[in-house]
Amino acid sequence: MSTIDRIKNVAAELLKVEASRVQETSRFVEDLGADSMQSIELVAAFEEEFDIEMDEDAALGVKTVGDAVGFIDRVIADG
Amino acid sequence: MNSEQYLALTPEAIKILKSNGCWSRSWSKVKVTRGFDPTRIAGTIFRGQVRIGRLEGEFLPKDGIRRYAGIFDANLHNVHIGDNCHISNINGWLSNLVIENNVLIENAGSIVCQGETSFGNGHSIEVLNEGGGRELKITEMTSAQTAYLSTMYRHDTDLIKALDEIADKYARSVISDRATIGEGAKLFHCQNIVNVNIGKGAILRGIQNLKEGTIASSPEASTFVGDGVIAKNFIIQKGAYVSDGALLASTLIGEASKIGKQFSAENSVMFCNSEGFHSEVCSIFAGPYTVTHHRSTLLIAGMFSFFNAGSGTNQSNHMYKLGPLHQGIIERGGKTGSSSYLLWPSRVGAFSAIMGKHYANFDSSDFPFSYVNEDGGQSTLVPGMNFFTVGTMRDGLKWPTRDGRKNTDKLDQLNFEILSPYTGQKMMKGQSILLELYAGAEKGQEYVSHKGILIKRLLLKTCSRYYRLALEKYLGDALIARLTAGSVKDKSELVGQPEGADDGDSPWVDVSGLLCSQSRLEGLLDGIKTGEVSDLLTLQIELQKIHGTYDLDEWSWVINAMPQVYGFENLNAENLLTVLEKWKNSSTKLLNMVEMDASKEFEGNVRTGFGIDGHQDDDFYEVRGKFKSNSFKKQLDEMRQAVESNYDQSLAIFNNL
Repeated sequence: MSTIDRIKNVAAELLKVEASRVQETSRFVEDLGADSMQSIELVAAFEEEFDIEMDEDAALGVKTVGDAVGFIDRVIADG
Repeated sequence: MNSEQYLALTPEAIKILKSNGCWSRSWSKVKVTRGFDPTRIAGTIFRGQVRIGRLEGEFLPKDGIRRYAGIFDANLHNVHIGDNCHISNINGWLSNLVIENNVLIENAGSIVCQGETSFGNGHSIEVLNEGGGRELKITEMTSAQTAYLSTMYRHDTDLIKALDEIADKYARSVISDRATIGEGAKLFHCQNIVNVNIGKGAILRGIQNLKEGTIASSPEASTFVGDGVIAKNFIIQKGAYVSDGALLASTLIGEASKIGKQFSAENSVMFCNSEGFHSEVCSIFAGPYTVTHHRSTLLIAGMFSFFNAGSGTNQSNHMYKLGPLHQGIIERGGKTGSSSYLLWPSRVGAFSAIMGKHYANFDSSDFPFSYVNEDGGQSTLVPGMNFFTVGTMRDGLKWPTRDGRKNTDKLDQLNFEILSPYTGQKMMKGQSILLELYAGAEKGQEYVSHKGILIKRLLLKTCSRYYRLALEKYLGDALIARLTAGSVKDKSELVGQPEGADDGDSPWVDVSGLLCSQSRLEGLLDGIKTGEVSDLLTLQIELQKIHGTYDLDEWSWVINAMPQVYGFENLNAENLLTVLEKWKNSSTKLLNMVEMDASKEFEGNVRTGFGIDGHQDDDFYEVRGKFKSNSFKKQLDEMRQAVESNYDQSLAIFNNL
């Protein structure tokens, strides 16, 4: 499964929204309704999904699903 | 003035007094000082032994109407009046009083002393546990620390016996059948005051009823007790403000505390810089900086400090079984959100924010800086999250600036530090518990439970990292403070135990505002039990000494903690460079996360309600301003620059050692 699909699945499950609502351009807060606690849980869920560790303050600055793909791909690439 | 210096009234003076409408059955019992001016007394009845000082000079109170020293329309019974007092319009009696120099009493009912009394000193109150068992003997010298020991160390019966004796000894020392109104005190429109000592420079205005108490005051820390106050069995310490219909029963109000707006307190202590308005407290131990401002809030059977109660905060301490015997603890720095509820017994970790209603008994004391939330009727915890909020950082900056105590002999010993060995040890333990819980949890599990509260499994690792980051920040702060203090001459001094310090192994405790190692405190407890410390003044001095060792003992704890936190095999000078590097990184991260939290105050839903008929953004910017120009944001930018400069400076100092 591609990075974006895995991100969409994690976001849909955690934010309890239909998977079809989660698009590349979706903003986690404004479009998908993530509150501040859920934003932190999303970071944790992505870490678990991809078995990575992310820098919190940088990760919390990510606004959209598409940005998350780029961010996570970079973390994976950096090892 | 001693009694030999008082003279009998001359026949001429008696004649003048009589012509001024004064009366006495026995003029020989009225004694005066040399140079006494009888023309300054009118309409006054003298009963029993009355001594009067020189009546010269004048007062200019805030109302701008000049009062002259003298006694006008007063009823005096067994009263010693000092020099230059103004006493007028006493409808009842001034009876069994020592009125010191320069006192003004105007439009009073009765101010009397009836029989022997200790003026509220030694009075036993049922603090923390309404059902009793933690009785505290309050005195005007009771500090937050002495009260903490008396209330919380009940397991040590020898200590409690000794502390009770110390309080009793003080009470015995003030027992008298005469109440004192201290030099420079001013009393206006007071109705009924019975068995109350009033300290120097106190201002009393429009009091309704005071009985069995002490109002401590000093010229530099004047205490104000104002309109409509009703108090019985009470102690009000220096610099406090109590007014506007406050009701106090068996209660101690600490130095520079502010009480008013129909606040009600019973069987409670509220130590320095506390504030109580509108609300009700019952059997609480309110350490320094406990604040409750809202009418709908009840604090009951709890221990607090550096605490802010939201509106509608409530707790319950019984379940209709064996009565109100449960108690709760919210460790320092707690906050409750609006309409929050806690079922006692529970214990909440330091610097935590409590939101929602909690019907389960839990203990989150291993997890400081947490959010305690309610999720679908269950209590949930987000450990470490509150460390990164604007509120916690602002609290840490504001408390020292809001210390209203003006007296030099401050009773309560305070450490304002948010990051300290006390919170540091808790974060180390919390971090370890979180990782253990993570290791033991199933992947499909949403929550894990710890001591009655749920933690989201997904957040276990994240929150343990929060603690790690906070610890790196703290240990680095301590290293930088040590380096920049200029006292270290050699690198080896940085890694060795400082002379005279605690061994660094001992746990740290929060003695209601005073942070110290348990071993340091135990030394004091031994001294109390052996009788080496046998009075309140000595106890106070010993507590001050402990307070004075904070920096030394803190460093000892820090160098003990460093190998555990960073995984160093041994602590050596080179390792300290790693500490500095990590500090720079964690400090910057912290500031970034606090800024992110602060920026939420300017984004999205926060603008709801602005621009009622359009122009929402413009309205918001005019009222709230823009984030980039916000003063706190600017402060954060300055702190970020300070991280860079502190790092460079510390590194340079370190390399030159």
